[in-house]
Amino acid sequence: MISIKHLSKTFQNPDGSTITVLKDVNCEIEKGEVISIIGPSGTGKSTLLRALNMLEPPTSGEIIVDGENITAPGYPLDKLRRKMGMVFQSFNLFEHKTVLENIIYAPMELLKTPEAQAKEEAMELLKKVGMAQKADVYPSSLSGGQKQRVAIARSLAMHPEVILFDEPTSALDPTMVGEVLSVIRQLAKSGLTMLIVTHEMRFARDVSTRIFFMNEGIIYEDGTPEQIFEHPVHSATKAFVNRIQKLKYDIDSDNFDFLQIHTDINRFCIKYNITGKQDLAYTLLKEMLFTHLRSLRPLTFRLTHTELSGVTALDFMVEGLNESLLTDTARKSIRPQVKELIEETTTRGFRVKLII
Amino acid sequence: MKIKKTVIFSFIFLSFLTACSNGSDNRHEPQSEADLKGLTLACTNGSYYQQKYETREDIRLFVASSEPDAIQAVCQGHADVYVSDEVMLTRADLMRLGLKKSFVGEESFDVAFAIKKGNTEFAAQLNDFLASTPLDDIINYWINEGPYVEEPAFTIQEGAEPLRCVCAVNIAPISYIGDGGEWQGLDVDILRRFAHSLGRPFEMKYQDIGSDIMAINTGKADVFSGCLFITDERRKSIDFSDPYYKCHPGYFIIDRSSEAHMSLGERLKLNFINENRWRLIVDGLVETLKITLLSILFGTILGIGVCACKRSRRKWLRKCADLYGDFINGIPTLVLLLILFYVVFANTGMSASLVAIVTFALCFASSSGNIFDASISSVPKGQTEAGLSLGFTPFKTFMGIVFPQAVQKGLPLYIGECVSLLKNTSIVGYIAIADLTRASELIRSRTFDALIPLLIVTILYFILAWAIRSGLNLLVKKRLSI
Repeated sequence: MISIKHLSKTFQNPDGSTITVLKDVNCEIEKGEVISIIGPSGTGKSTLLRALNMLEPPTSGEIIVDGENITAPGYPLDKLRRKMGMVFQSFNLFEHKTVLENIIYAPMELLKTPEAQAKEEAMELLKKVGMAQKADVYPSSLSGGQKQRVAIARSLAMHPEVILFDEPTSALDPTMVGEVLSVIRQLAKSGLTMLIVTHEMRFARDVSTRIFFMNEGIIYEDGTPEQIFEHPVHSATKAFVNRIQKLKYDIDSDNFDFLQIHTDINRFCIKYNITGKQDLAYTLLKEMLFTHLRSLRPLTFRLTHTELSGVTALDFMVEGLNESLLTDTARKSIRPQVKELIEETTTRGFRVKLII
Repeated sequence: MKIKKTVIFSFIFLSFLTACSNGSDNRHEPQSEADLKGLTLACTNGSYYQQKYETREDIRLFVASSEPDAIQAVCQGHADVYVSDEVMLTRADLMRLGLKKSFVGEESFDVAFAIKKGNTEFAAQLNDFLASTPLDDIINYWINEGPYVEEPAFTIQEGAEPLRCVCAVNIAPISYIGDGGEWQGLDVDILRRFAHSLGRPFEMKYQDIGSDIMAINTGKADVFSGCLFITDERRKSIDFSDPYYKCHPGYFIIDRSSEAHMSLGERLKLNFINENRWRLIVDGLVETLKITLLSILFGTILGIGVCACKRSRRKWLRKCADLYGDFINGIPTLVLLLILFYVVFANTGMSASLVAIVTFALCFASSSGNIFDASISSVPKGQTEAGLSLGFTPFKTFMGIVFPQAVQKGLPLYIGECVSLLKNTSIVGYIAIADLTRASELIRSRTFDALIPLLIVTILYFILAWAIRSGLNLLVKKRLSI
């Protein structure tokens, strides 16, 4: 359906220097595929997506959609874009129109759908994304997650064959990511061709039929979720999919901001979908800081989480110490609460790691 | 609500002015120039009297910008004596103002008309006319209320250019706007007869002395009148006709025996009903409205062009738009108006109103162009991308999505600019357009009443501003249904 050949994109900076974001991208996309594009920041994921509907015209290379070269000069891009919807990171709802008007505007203007029919279809779509109640409000009164759901409904209203999702949850508060992802999950099952640029690894693994791992301006590795996440070929892919999310604090006196840490842990757990571990992490942290490690300052505390394996750990490090200062009582108290208690002496100092 | 506020404000303003205008003390009545010692003398800027008394250290001078201002200075007690040409005020005016002529100076001056330097043929025509006309009888009619002198029969040739006259004096009996807005007075009578003798229609415009001299020099006007003394200094820049009158200085003071006091109703009648003065206001209103609306129209069209240049991909177009903005911003509107009228369009025969419209449209283009550009820039780029990604063409995306949002953001600024344009048009009096402000000045200089004409004009400007504001709001909101 879509084939990309030797696509490259070079941006010119205002100072005259250039930066090549896409080097040489080649791929074939079949109808009905749900493709997640993952990879480190700045490797051209969004640029590739935006090149597909020519919002970012490529510097060289070809994109063939249904046998037609859309990069050819003078190609009617408005026709192409009607069958290729796009959902943006920043939603981009039309602020001067109500939710319903946002959705019916394009079908009425471009497909000449009669108003009554357009409204009926729009209400159907709004029900599908759970926003029917808000049909007559203006976007400014909606939350980020609600806006994004309306934006999805808006692009669906044009009956596109392909939808491009450009980091649809990156601008959202962690609490709202879920509602948007569940709408996309639903869509993925409907047989629509979808390309999704995302940082949500679990989501990518669950919904996609295929994963592009992009790195250094090319599609570094291309395969099924199983291949990419369980048996990646390249070491860069492996490092990326197994990357560890961290929350880190340096505690140098007793007067640290415990409330702030509490809030951050809360957000961290929501973001990585481990709210079940939140209370335990909080209790353990309190016990360690105020009882067992009370006399040890300064120390560094880290909360880590590996998304794919689901391993979460609390990590306490006291620099310059070469033996454990945990008492037996402390060990006895901690051990039943955690999966594993590791005490080790490193070159930097002494470390206690609690796997939960 | 707004109107209510204006009314309250006006009352405060009125009572303040009344409170201020009652200061006068008991000074002696001078009978000669020597008697002037210790008094304050009111005269006009650039007049002979200013030069004459500047050097006398025992006299204080109150230099006003026009004759009516100088007269008012005396009426309100800012000065003791008003000195000017003895014929400046009619007996009726003196009585109404509660003034009297204290004494007449011994000097005498030749009074003549000013014309463009070196125009000998025209000078000869004028001098021949003056020699063949019963000037003494005409003067007797205007100054001493003698019998009227019938004008000989004349025919105005079809399509003849009018004799364009300018003056800086709007005081009876020299030259003044009388019944129905017609110019009258000694100078006007002579010049009208002269125009008719040439088979040409007559035309008179009122503006300050500086503009008058400029108008003569640039050929915008044929004759400059208004009780002009022939002085050597003036001869350097203009030529004079033969003198037609000999004039003495007159010294006017407050007449303590008179009880000139008018009720508000009388003042309103004097300022608006007498001599059909309301017509000046109506004409001024129409002129102001015409200049404002046409300037907004053309300025907006030009402004769209400026905005398009500013947003162009071509660097030189952007540079041009910036230069244009800097140029317009760097020149006071009044100076631009004078340059366009007296230099750029000097010999094109363009009417003053048209030049004013061009001037204001040029200024408005710069500011409205900036507003359009800023409003469009304030719409996030994502809106355009969303429109394009749905399949709208770039043009439709702009018209349907970006433009309505830009209007929402820019409309208050745009309306503010329109209102400030309306207020700026009050400077067109400098090129002899009788707009609303100038209308109030014309009335003021005849009735010597500052408060009522200014108050009415203030209220009219306020209503105009309100009308423009709500009119534009209504128009745009209906059109775009936002």
